[in-house]
Order: sequence, then C-alpha cells, then structure tokens
Amino acid sequence: MSEHGFSRRSVLGTLGVLGAAAATGALGRPRQATAQALGMQETLDAGLKRVFGGRPIKDAGGLVKLDVPLIAENGAVVPVTVEVNLPMTPSNYVKHIYIVADKNRIPIVTRVALAPEAGQAYMGANIRLGETTDVRAIVEQSDGTLLQAKREVKVTVGGCGG
Amino acid sequence: MSDIGKVRVRIPSSIKAGDVVRVRTLVIHPMERIERDAQGKIIDKKYNYITKVTVTYLGKTVVSFDTTQSVSENPFFSFAFKATDPGQLKVAFTDTTGGKYEGTADIKFS
Repeated sequence: MSEHGFSRRSVLGTLGVLGAAAATGALGRPRQATAQALGMQETLDAGLKRVFGGRPIKDAGGLVKLDVPLIAENGAVVPVTVEVNLPMTPSNYVKHIYIVADKNRIPIVTRVALAPEAGQAYMGANIRLGETTDVRAIVEQSDGTLLQAKREVKVTVGGCGG
Repeated sequence: MSDIGKVRVRIPSSIKAGDVVRVRTLVIHPMERIERDAQGKIIDKKYNYITKVTVTYLGKTVVSFDTTQSVSENPFFSFAFKATDPGQLKVAFTDTTGGKYEGTADIKFS
C-alpha cells in the first residue's frame, strides 16, 4: 500500500470526489467511467493502459501544437502549452487534453476536460519533470479519436523530489 | 504559509463579444510532493495538493483540470473560452485536504 504513496483514506476520498463529479455530470452530459484517481505512481505503459485502455494513439502531425522548452534548467517548473487546431462544435470537439511525462514517477500529469463552449482547445500549465524525458500531449476528441504530439525536454535539475 | 489559497485570474484588458479569450490563472499552493525516508520508502501520509480546477462561465463549466502531484508548486494554468455574454468567470481550486479556493473575473465588453 505504502508503495503507492497513497493512504487508503486519500485514495477513497479522491475516488469519492471524482465519483461525485461524474454523478452530477460536470459537463452536463453523462461521462464515461473516468471516476478514478489520476495521479498514481506507475510506469508509463501501465498509466496509458489504465487511462486509454489500449486504444490506438495516432500521431497528430500539425494538428496539435505542443510548446515546451527544449532545455529546462529547473525541473520543478516547466511551462507547457498545448494548442489544438480542431473545431469546437457541439457535435465534434476536443474532449480531453492529457499531459504525460514519460519518466515521471507519476506519468499522467494532468487531464483537461473541455466543453464546446471553450471555443478553442487550448491549455497551459506549469509541470514538474523528474529527469530528461519525453513530454506528450494526448488529445481525445468527442468521437474517441486519440492524437498525440511528443517533444523531448532536457532537464538539468530534476523537480520531482522523492 | 498564510498565502495559501490566494488566487489570481488575469484576463485581457479589452474583450469583444464573441472573442475566444485566453485567461491565465495562478494559485498559491504548496502542491506537496511525495517524500521518502532514508531507505527510499515513501512516507505514508496525506499529501496536500490540488486535484481539481474548475472554470465556470455564466454558470456552466467550460474547462476543468484534473491535476496530480506532477504539477508545479504554486500552479499556473491557462485556458481559453468564448466570451458570448458579459458575466462572471469563476475559477475554483480543490485540494486533497478539502480546501476550496476561488478567484473570479468580470467579463465586460469594451
């Protein structure tokens, strides 16, 4: 148990919060079963399998613009922005943007859920990187298509601590 | 730190109706990372970090972030939304201790 760094209480609590969010329908429509804790200590493959269930991920080409520094001097604060050149209409929109850092102990960094009202699929965040690693942006469209863009970031001083 | 939970929301100074507006937001929060003892074993305790960021505009959730401990201390997020009507933009952060921090910005057209 302690290997995962989560107390039973915190895991249950997080699940409860996510479950409640799913039940009330944060986006006003039924969401698929995503009621699970995101930040698990796991390998990249296990994380991708858990989140995407082995669905194929296509290369995004020019559709997904992932902006990260090539060299991050301080791994504790690495700015990431993702811009997706896809329409945001109620019938076809970008549902989720995932940021994945391959070699982090917690590889799934963040998941952004978007509604069509956002107008444009864009997000930015400051993330931590433990060591030099590939950073991926994985975009999930409303029809379930997965697209990814990948860039390597060289990290001088890691920022994930333990 | 008494500053925990201070939220800043920055919007462009002039917004026109129908614009897709990019907003930057920041919260002061430690986002505790996993600690290990001398043997490299993870210390089992309740870590305080933000798990959810919700952006509401005109009473509707437009963007939400699910975040983990891989997100930096004093996290900064940016996002876009389409400004259709004047109203309030609310950004709410929730952490693992049940703390809730909110910041708002009034969307006005010039």
